[in-house]
Amino acid sequence: MREEAHRFGRGRHLVGIAGLTGDARCEMGVIVLNAGLVHRIGPFRLHVELTRQLNTAGYPTLRFDMSTLGDSGAVGGGLTRAQQVCADLDDAMALLKARAGCERFVLVGLCSGAQNAHVVATNDARVTGAVFLDGYAYRTLGYKLRHYLPRLADPGRWSRLLRRRTNGEKGEKAASEPVFAVPAAPREEVIANFTAMVDRGMKLYLVYSGGISNYFNHSRQFRECFGKVMSHPAVTTRYTAETDHTYILSGDRARLLDGIGGWLVSNFPPATAGRSS
Amino acid sequence: MRPESEIPFFFGPDDSLFGMYHEPAFAASCAVLMCPPLGQDLIRCHRLYRQLAQALAAQGVGVLRFDYYGTGDAAGSSAEVDWDRCMVDATIASRELRARARVDRVIAFGARLGASVALAVAERAKFAEVIAWDPVLDGRDHVAALDAMQDALRADSGRFIRPRSDADVAEQWQGFSVGDSFRQQLSALRTEPAGVPTVIVDSLPAADGSRWEGFVTARDVVSPLGQPTPWDDLRRLETAILSKPLIQAVTGRLKETA
Repeated sequence: MREEAHRFGRGRHLVGIAGLTGDARCEMGVIVLNAGLVHRIGPFRLHVELTRQLNTAGYPTLRFDMSTLGDSGAVGGGLTRAQQVCADLDDAMALLKARAGCERFVLVGLCSGAQNAHVVATNDARVTGAVFLDGYAYRTLGYKLRHYLPRLADPGRWSRLLRRRTNGEKGEKAASEPVFAVPAAPREEVIANFTAMVDRGMKLYLVYSGGISNYFNHSRQFRECFGKVMSHPAVTTRYTAETDHTYILSGDRARLLDGIGGWLVSNFPPATAGRSS
Repeated sequence: MRPESEIPFFFGPDDSLFGMYHEPAFAASCAVLMCPPLGQDLIRCHRLYRQLAQALAAQGVGVLRFDYYGTGDAAGSSAEVDWDRCMVDATIASRELRARARVDRVIAFGARLGASVALAVAERAKFAEVIAWDPVLDGRDHVAALDAMQDALRADSGRFIRPRSDADVAEQWQGFSVGDSFRQQLSALRTEPAGVPTVIVDSLPAADGSRWEGFVTARDVVSPLGQPTPWDDLRRLETAILSKPLIQAVTGRLKETA
């Protein structure tokens, strides 16, 4: 594998690292989007570890900073945020096509990165797969039952509440927000997007963590949130309650990376991902 | 700022180091090597380093930001970070900067362990001056602080639904694998005065004023920053370190001495 540093994009305003796989030209490449405001290396270097592991497995990659993030600048033009995201990814796909011959792409995004990947996957037919890490989710009835029922049945919690009331203390501190909160798009719109994605042949991998327990708390919630499209053979879901939102522990990161690598190999085997030059 | 004036590239042995060179806005008389801190401090400081580099480039200073082996975009894994290699990498980066900026006078800037690296290689890399922001002087104390944060992280209810096992958090500091050798190197670290003029930018919590006693000499300067920087606050572990006063302090110093 070999890494190249690039300044690219229509305004030469984007910075990224392309990971290439020897001499082979590959039809499919993987693009990793920023997670929140963290620059392209990802939280705790997650994106560096991911792209290098995928390069070794035979997939060209690009980890890059989108407009105004990390080392990338802004470009004028009065685009909306969604239009700018699509333009940035268009530039990223053009770079990976030029450097590795890629025609199709899998997008990987964590939190706001998942949201941005969702926008592009909805609008760009070149995107044939997406890995959404802690992407869109909604507090369902099931979530509320799982969250509140154990608390209602916990006498210790009631006694603590009564004690606080007696002492005039304020209520329990609100659960902390995830580090990078994703503002939710309308649920029906997200379901329609997922449905359209699988209808056009896309493969989806949704991995949600215990770090978003303030709105997601069980593997069943994928179906509760998004309905029957989650049972489509093109959709794979995984809920890892023990992990945090940004995979701070090396073992959790390793398991995540192995999961993504395994999903890629199953859905986009290197034999079809690559083609001889 | 023209986008093309910030150039990303790989350099060093086997192109194993990553750099971002900021071309000066006009002919440079000196250059600044920005030595990054290590671990999560590197990520937290990334934006501030870029802002400072842009501010310096705008006043005619060529700037190189870079990543040591095993950090950032450089080759190698986090577990391979090695203190001696960090010092070698900083020296290589100083040569790269001199070649790109076509100047001999290089000033080093670093935060935390990045400052410790800059101070340690100051004479070898022929730095004209070191600007050290909250340098780590005693590695043993620093290791103890990192261990304490890692222990607190294990049971951080804001992060994990349930406390994690000791094995889950072992051999890591706040998101980064740590090799035995690096741990020992850092434990043994006692940062010595640089042997070149040094500016200490101090934003550590208030102390008795003797923190830098014995470290700075009459030719050195200690510049208090005012507001303490929350380096070791687990609740802000993923919050960027931003500091306009720091940028003003460093750019002001360069205006005085360039």
